[in-house]
Amino acid sequence: MTEFLKSRWVEYSVLGLSVFLIFCLVFDSNIVLPNLVAGLGRWHPLVLHFPIVLLLIAVFLGLTGKKVPHELLVIAVLSALATAILGFFLGKETPVKGDLLFWHQWMGGAVALLAAIWYFLDNKGLGSKIYVKGLQVVMVVLVGLTGHYGGMVTHGEEFLALPTSKKQKELPENPMVYADVVAVILDDKCVSCHNPNKKKGELLMTNFSELLKGGESGQTLVPGDPLKSELISRLHLPLENEEHMPPEGKTPLTQSEIEILERWVALGASDTLRFDQLSKSEPLVALLKGLMEPDPMSKWAELPFVADSTLQNLASDYLTIERVASNSNALSIDMYLPPEYDVKPILALERIANNIVELDLSGLPLGAKEMDVIAKCQNLEWLEVDKTPVSDTEIEKLSNLKKLKLLKVYETAITDKSLAVFKNLTDLKNLYIYKTGITKNALQDLQSSNKGLMINYGIAPEIEAFFVATDSVAVTK
Amino acid sequence: MKEDENKKEDPLKVNRRHFFSQLSVGIGSLALGSLLIPDLFKGGGAPPLTQPLGIPHFAPKAKRVIYLFQAGGPSQFESFDYKPTLRKRMGEDLPDSIRNGQRLTGMTSGQDKFPLMPSATNFKQHGQSGTWISDYFPHIAKIADDITVVRSMHTEAINHDPAITFFQTGSQISGRPSMGSWMSYGLGSENKNLPSFVVLTSRGKGNSQGLYSKLWSSGFLDSKHQGVLLRSGKDPVLYLNDPDGLSRSDKRHLLNEVSQLNKMHHVETGDDEIESRIAQYEMAYRMQMSVPDVMDISKEPESIVKLYGEDCQVPGTFAANALQARRLAENGVRFIQLYHQGWDQHGNLPNAMAGQAKDVDQASAALVQDLKQRGMLEDTLVVWGGEFGRTNYCQGKFDPADFGRDHHPRAFSIWMAGGGIKPGLNYGKTDEFGYNVIENPVHVNDFHATLMHAMGIDHEQLTYKYQGRRFRLTDVAGNVINDLLA
Repeated sequence: MTEFLKSRWVEYSVLGLSVFLIFCLVFDSNIVLPNLVAGLGRWHPLVLHFPIVLLLIAVFLGLTGKKVPHELLVIAVLSALATAILGFFLGKETPVKGDLLFWHQWMGGAVALLAAIWYFLDNKGLGSKIYVKGLQVVMVVLVGLTGHYGGMVTHGEEFLALPTSKKQKELPENPMVYADVVAVILDDKCVSCHNPNKKKGELLMTNFSELLKGGESGQTLVPGDPLKSELISRLHLPLENEEHMPPEGKTPLTQSEIEILERWVALGASDTLRFDQLSKSEPLVALLKGLMEPDPMSKWAELPFVADSTLQNLASDYLTIERVASNSNALSIDMYLPPEYDVKPILALERIANNIVELDLSGLPLGAKEMDVIAKCQNLEWLEVDKTPVSDTEIEKLSNLKKLKLLKVYETAITDKSLAVFKNLTDLKNLYIYKTGITKNALQDLQSSNKGLMINYGIAPEIEAFFVATDSVAVTK
Repeated sequence: MKEDENKKEDPLKVNRRHFFSQLSVGIGSLALGSLLIPDLFKGGGAPPLTQPLGIPHFAPKAKRVIYLFQAGGPSQFESFDYKPTLRKRMGEDLPDSIRNGQRLTGMTSGQDKFPLMPSATNFKQHGQSGTWISDYFPHIAKIADDITVVRSMHTEAINHDPAITFFQTGSQISGRPSMGSWMSYGLGSENKNLPSFVVLTSRGKGNSQGLYSKLWSSGFLDSKHQGVLLRSGKDPVLYLNDPDGLSRSDKRHLLNEVSQLNKMHHVETGDDEIESRIAQYEMAYRMQMSVPDVMDISKEPESIVKLYGEDCQVPGTFAANALQARRLAENGVRFIQLYHQGWDQHGNLPNAMAGQAKDVDQASAALVQDLKQRGMLEDTLVVWGGEFGRTNYCQGKFDPADFGRDHHPRAFSIWMAGGGIKPGLNYGKTDEFGYNVIENPVHVNDFHATLMHAMGIDHEQLTYKYQGRRFRLTDVAGNVINDLLA
């Protein structure tokens, strides 16, 4: 064994793995991993403990002037290289690498490569030179930092920070503009420096009265005049400016956060202002609504993965499958009537049923089989089955689609019976039912049980009558 | 033994054999690594993807656009921008402080006076939104709460061709891809049996300017993104029908053989346009089935015909095209571009403008209503407007019953509806003369950026590299107007 570890093959492996690693790091963005290799990345968290321990032991021996056993060094180096490469594979699973991962990747790569250099120098009998000692120190520091960044990647940036109750809580129905929104932004972005412990610029931002009092440079805000308020103007300074807040290195406010603060100051910086007191045209309304309704993509983040190849197999000239956004597993599907209709392509959708959030089957000769597939699309939010032969019996199958927001069933034979199903779809916001057997009077019950529901019963009769009566177009040739 | 001696001299020294064997390991590793880069050694284009460019960048509000382009530059003073001051100061010269050095076209540069001319018609407020709309547009007035009027549009061009080219392609100089081509390039097709970009034209009796196919050209983008002009009448697409005696299966056979030959040619030359050509043949084959069906409006019920106006049964009218636009939208065409010519009222404005308005008013409003009842306004964006506005002063003889207005790029009005645009909004303001924008200006680039945003595209991300640099529809400008978005 010892003999083998000294053989040339080991040297070749170290060299080969190092070159491979460098290649990976340099051509990162061009590389697409085959599935077989990508899975290997999952071993990274397991393997990484070996090189950490082995390298630390080796460095400890080296720095204390003892001889580093060659076998130890070989295993440490090989495991370090393997870990770095596996880590790289794992990193490819993330669509966009953030700062943390970026640094973790490069520092981890550096550790493995430094170890490889140490190995080569040791091979040449230079192991006890002073620059090798220096290299060892650098390596230990990098091991620590890499581990720290890796920890933050897996456990979140706040993992080592003191426990706080800063969980993004949902906004109440009618939020207080200051307490529920403005104060939360300040807490998040400003209070880490402007608190009783640090009190930068003699300014406290921990509560409303202190905020009004201002600090070193006087008043922080002029109610009603955001341009004169330092709180706002400093946010707008260019990043390079010394006066810009938050200072370099701290997380800046997002555009909408700045706009919220600005509008709040413009409206008089009151701590009693509530959402429902704002006029409809006030820009703050839209900004707050943005906060109250979570990002549409986040609710789809948990959907099961679906591969492009699967979509390609299921799609055809008459069946279009699209992701709602490129990095999302939520799907939008349109089907058009082919010359010869066949139910199979729709039945095949069953395997991706959970991913379908929008489904347009209007104008197709739908029957019970198709409706069974639709009924399985738990996450469906948008369904078009207008101009189809569906009737009340088929509509009943939709009862479990609790996430349905929009439903088009116009130009079908459904009747008042279906209203009971619609009533149970509590998330429903838009319902299109013109030219059906549904009677207008029966709708009142549905409307009163779901106040937010927009029921479209066709063009308003007075508008239609006006259009018919005043045909403005003199027929031209 | 020799090797050990060498080491003593210089531990880093390597002999030749050792060097080569290490080198081979290094190269081997590189080769292994390069296997991870797909298509590294495959020349030519990238493999086809389900979603061409990894977009939409975010969940879109609109999936398609119907653009009712009013070619010629309809006057805002007789449509959507109410300026009572013009009546009060009728005949007075436009103050220099307002004109502020604005250049003139060759048609009025000879005039030594610029007498203010009031609207040829009356305005009223309509709907809950209180939108001011002129009496020339009674039907659009009825749907005031469904549309958003932008009164602060401005452009850079002052003559028709550059202005309309700017609106359609983002550049005053022709050659860039049209807006619809960009959408097709970015989002691909919703229905593979129809082109993703379709153009329909109609012409009013008013003074018309030319429309050229460059406006719907794909420029440097792949030619499959080019707009397809559907003609009115029996053959919407010329030469689409098979000659007598050729069966559909014969046609299929023929296409298969031709495509084999084309593929061979492609392997030889590597020209991507050959692949486009193959795709076009296939598209045409499928369009033989799909187009006649989509274009056949005879099955539309009486109520729909009444809604759009009797004119919609006459092929080639704006009303017919508007109805057609709805049918195309239903069938998943991404970008439906209508042009109605005849809005260039340098003279005879009251009469001609009333006529033009009659052509489009009912059908435009009907289209919005029809889309609304089908729930299509949820994901279809309708835009109505021209390439620029018209002057607040009179061109030619000062006669309120028969006058003209010249081109005006600094302020004009358009409206939009549906597809993620806030309904019932009045956006932007002009000064009391209607000459300059004084609040919330919207530049053509901003308009493009906003339109793309509604379609789920980040206008700064959708680029195409050509002749050494990356191009985009908004080139180096454009901001999304968030206030317009619902």
